[in-house]
Amino acid sequence: MNASGDPRARRRRITPWLFGAPALFGLALFLVLPFLMALILTFTDQRLVSPEPGAVIGLRNYERLLSISALVQTPERDAAGRVAHGYSGEPLYARARAITRTVHAYRGYHPLTDFRLGERRVTVLAKDPAFLRALGNTFVFALLVVPLQCSMALGLALLVNAGLKAQTIFRAIYFSPVVMSMVIVSVVWAFLFDKDLGLFNQALKAVSFGLIKPIDWLGNPSTAMPAIVIMSAWQGAGFQMLILLAGLQGISQELYDAARIDGAGAWQRFWHITVPGMRQTIGFVLIVTTIAALGLFAQVDVMTGGGPRGATATVMFEAVQRGVREENIAYGATIAVVYFGLITILILLQQALQRRRAKATP
Amino acid sequence: MVLIDRFNASQSKWRVVAQSLPQGGYNQSIVAASLAGRMQCLIAVDSPMVASFAWAGHLRPLDGYVSGGALAPISPAALGRYAGKTYAAGQFDAALAIFTKRSILARMHTRVPTLDRPWSLAEFQTLLDRLKADGEYRYPLDLATRDDKASWWTYAFSPMLQSFGGDLVDRQSMTNAEGTLNGPAARRFGAWFQALFVKGLVSRQEPDENAFVKGRAAVVYTGDWWAPEYRKYAGDDLLILPPPDFGQGVVIGGGSWQWGISKACPHPDGAGQFIEFLLQPRQIAAMSDASGGIPVTEAGAEASRDFGKTGKSRIFFELMRRFAKGRPATPAFAVISNAFTFAMRDVMDGKNVEDALDDATDDIDGAIADHHGYAAVRNR
Repeated sequence: MNASGDPRARRRRITPWLFGAPALFGLALFLVLPFLMALILTFTDQRLVSPEPGAVIGLRNYERLLSISALVQTPERDAAGRVAHGYSGEPLYARARAITRTVHAYRGYHPLTDFRLGERRVTVLAKDPAFLRALGNTFVFALLVVPLQCSMALGLALLVNAGLKAQTIFRAIYFSPVVMSMVIVSVVWAFLFDKDLGLFNQALKAVSFGLIKPIDWLGNPSTAMPAIVIMSAWQGAGFQMLILLAGLQGISQELYDAARIDGAGAWQRFWHITVPGMRQTIGFVLIVTTIAALGLFAQVDVMTGGGPRGATATVMFEAVQRGVREENIAYGATIAVVYFGLITILILLQQALQRRRAKATP
Repeated sequence: MVLIDRFNASQSKWRVVAQSLPQGGYNQSIVAASLAGRMQCLIAVDSPMVASFAWAGHLRPLDGYVSGGALAPISPAALGRYAGKTYAAGQFDAALAIFTKRSILARMHTRVPTLDRPWSLAEFQTLLDRLKADGEYRYPLDLATRDDKASWWTYAFSPMLQSFGGDLVDRQSMTNAEGTLNGPAARRFGAWFQALFVKGLVSRQEPDENAFVKGRAAVVYTGDWWAPEYRKYAGDDLLILPPPDFGQGVVIGGGSWQWGISKACPHPDGAGQFIEFLLQPRQIAAMSDASGGIPVTEAGAEASRDFGKTGKSRIFFELMRRFAKGRPATPAFAVISNAFTFAMRDVMDGKNVEDALDDATDDIDGAIADHHGYAAVRNR
């Protein structure tokens, strides 16, 4: 008698699908289907508002998004053949933008960044430098915010778990930013970051007796992203704190008691009991935080609008900007699809690494 | 709403029922309704979007449904025209002005400009420099740059660009920005705009919108909708002035929300009657009295409370009538507006002016070229 003939075995095979059906149906309808539609859109020039149906244009969207080139220039020379120099002694070059607009081979390219190679200046060109910059910004954000937010969350969780008085109240307080709307938090923090009247600069001025000059947090390309990192970590840490707290309370008290009897200090207990006991939890928190960080949008949209000079534009911001605000939905979809591909590769890599490490330490 | 009740009461053939949509997602809602074939008969459209809606086939021309006599007296910027046809008509408009205090100008020994003799660029610059040197105001001028939305930046600063002699796009062909948005006049505008921030005459982001009423700024460039607040603050000392003439005459933005008839409407003649009703001087005046918007016809202004010959807000009507220019009526407006805004924000933050304007120009020309100049539809 084969297995499929046994009604009980058949039921056992069908039951999980039956229970999973509502969720699978939802996933297919709201995630898989839109993604497939977006994938199709990327090969067209479909607009949000247009009387004409989108035409198939092949890989043009991808070509525009990802094309990179380089322009190598030698310095300008005067009539006598000497290198022309600017005020501060740097050699002068023709404006890269003027060349990309006139030389046919560079048509459609914009300068992304440049560096000097001896006497030559190399300008890296891209057809969509804004996207590549946004990609860089997003990863910088994730790189900064994940360690900060997770260590803040761990600190808060330890604090709340330490058995102090009124810890339920503190737990609620630390968690409260999470339930607040991100838009409202962003508006409030934009006030706090204000250059002349904001709380942070006032506080810095007070503690340094006026030595620290006001920092234009959101107006300076080098401080805008760190400012958003600080604010995001503050807003999000409460959520990770709760998960870590659950992990903390899952560690048996007996282990701590035994360690104490053996004469282990607080630091040793943390390092040799708490951290190993929470490895799974911490790993989970890191992944969740990273995923959330890669979707950064609301803070940027409210606080900086991607500025100053593109320093805080993220991939999500760029996708909304192109796809919705400029109504080029096909291009917006291309950004999303490429980003999806990148993140998938990252996750696969990360899992492969984890599997290897798991094998190494059984 | 009152207007709708009045229209319904004024005749018995048609009945207008209002449907409200949230402002934030308004355009998306309209587009979705149109795609789903469930568009309302009458729709209100923000004037820069009229061309896009007409091109996309959401709107039908008003010709034949609204009489030419009803449209003739309307201020040109309040009519949504595209490809030689009128698609929408507004009851009210807005106007940009310079607000300051008489006492401030007196202290700075600066003449009070008039509609016929506005400030020149040099006069305006001198005033700002004096105010800065005076030291009472950290940032003497407020340009509302705190609002980073493309709608404000285009509405507020493209008229300045035009006054310098540039424009967002070549208005003759409407197919390219090359030479117009990145020409010498535009570069002069960009350099001047950048210098405002470099010299600390304008804050790139005021902490709130109340720099003037809180005494942080001496001069504000904003719209007529702030007038009530400013009157309360400065009383008789308040001056409402035309923006400076940067070389090619004063220019302010024109065109606010306008009424159009959807293509899907089964009763366009009824919708037309409603619009014609709205454009009667009495109804225009009633709208203006209720909302504070500027009446778009002389007769409407006369009938209104504040915009008649001696009304306290007459200045805004004059500004609108003399200086208002509509934004470019092209389906590419969303791209143009976004590209211009990003370029100007980059200029504010110190990017090379020429590079920024070239980037915007390329974005715009590229988008228009992708659509073959929107020609196919324009000619049908």
